[in-house]
Amino acid sequence: MARMAQPDEPNWIQNSLAGDTEAYAAIVKEHQKMVHAVAFRMTGSLADAEDLTQETFLRAFRQIDSFRGESKFSTWLCQIAVNLGLNWCARENRRDDIHSEWAADAISENDSRGGFPDELSRRVQNALDKLPAKQRAAIVLTIYENQTHAEAAKTLNCTEATVSWRVFTARQKLKRLLKGISHEQF
Amino acid sequence: MNNSELDALLKKARTPEPPEEFWEEFPQQVARGLNRARTENFRPRQNWFPRLAWGFATAICILAAFAVGHWRGRMEAKASTDVLADATMVRETLAMFPNQVRAIVQDEHGLNLVLSDNADVPASPPIYVSIYDGKHHSSLVTFSGQEIQIAGQKMTVLSDAQGGIILMGNDFAWSSRDPAYEKNDLKIEAKPLSTVM
Repeated sequence: MARMAQPDEPNWIQNSLAGDTEAYAAIVKEHQKMVHAVAFRMTGSLADAEDLTQETFLRAFRQIDSFRGESKFSTWLCQIAVNLGLNWCARENRRDDIHSEWAADAISENDSRGGFPDELSRRVQNALDKLPAKQRAAIVLTIYENQTHAEAAKTLNCTEATVSWRVFTARQKLKRLLKGISHEQF
Repeated sequence: MNNSELDALLKKARTPEPPEEFWEEFPQQVARGLNRARTENFRPRQNWFPRLAWGFATAICILAAFAVGHWRGRMEAKASTDVLADATMVRETLAMFPNQVRAIVQDEHGLNLVLSDNADVPASPPIYVSIYDGKHHSSLVTFSGQEIQIAGQKMTVLSDAQGGIILMGNDFAWSSRDPAYEKNDLKIEAKPLSTVM
């Protein structure tokens, strides 16, 4: 998403580099909702999205000296969140036996916390959950985070052609899964 | 539904959010986590067990490195074929240079891409060619009509309407209809790439 960088952000980053956790808390406050949204779209679970958001910010602090300012700080954070999301998906896929049990827990948990704001949001997330993780990541980066295919390729460590292919395939599946929904319906 | 309608639909969907109190507390929670991690990193180690564990882990790593080295040596020949049999790699390469790829060659020097200066390579089903000259093994993915140099041999690769493949060299001709050809220790294999993947 095109976000205006907070004018104090460069100072917060400098101070965080020096180990100032209070300055870093200001960065967290600025970007926490964006990172949480990315984490939720990758996991489809509120509890896992919260964990992943926390993990993203902890990791970003440890690696903050690798932020070169070539991209926006939010893009850099998003890159960490998506890659942690992909690792999360890989771990979940390995736990085939308890996957269905987990899915049931996640659904009941979302419901118990108020769940989705509307039916459209629930159906779209269900469709995203059905995509393979790498295709989901490509959609999150290019459509929700408005990254170019070149930026997404950098994040996903693959070629632009691969990103284009994943977005193309994901769009075909999403169109099939969301068939019958029109904007006016919701 | 076209792409822009789909994108609009996706963007209209919102994610559930934790309550506002969660967001108020969250930055401090992260800061506490960082401070805790920092304290733990500076805690002196008084226990001999971690050192023993590190020593043991190092020994395991050395043994594993030897085992992997041994295994890689055995797998090298197989790996060279596997790279070219990777549909994703071939597809990505062709997509990056449309109608420019004359060949993707795998030999003892690694993977090499042979490109035409212009986008003048006609689109046709890719062909897999493997040549062993008694010393060196080279394999490549190319297209019908391409003149290529492989294992010191210059040859033109052709495919016929029935899917048969012919290699025309300066002093030899090889056909997939008579694959048992051998001359000067030259062992040739060629087939549509789709049958290798």
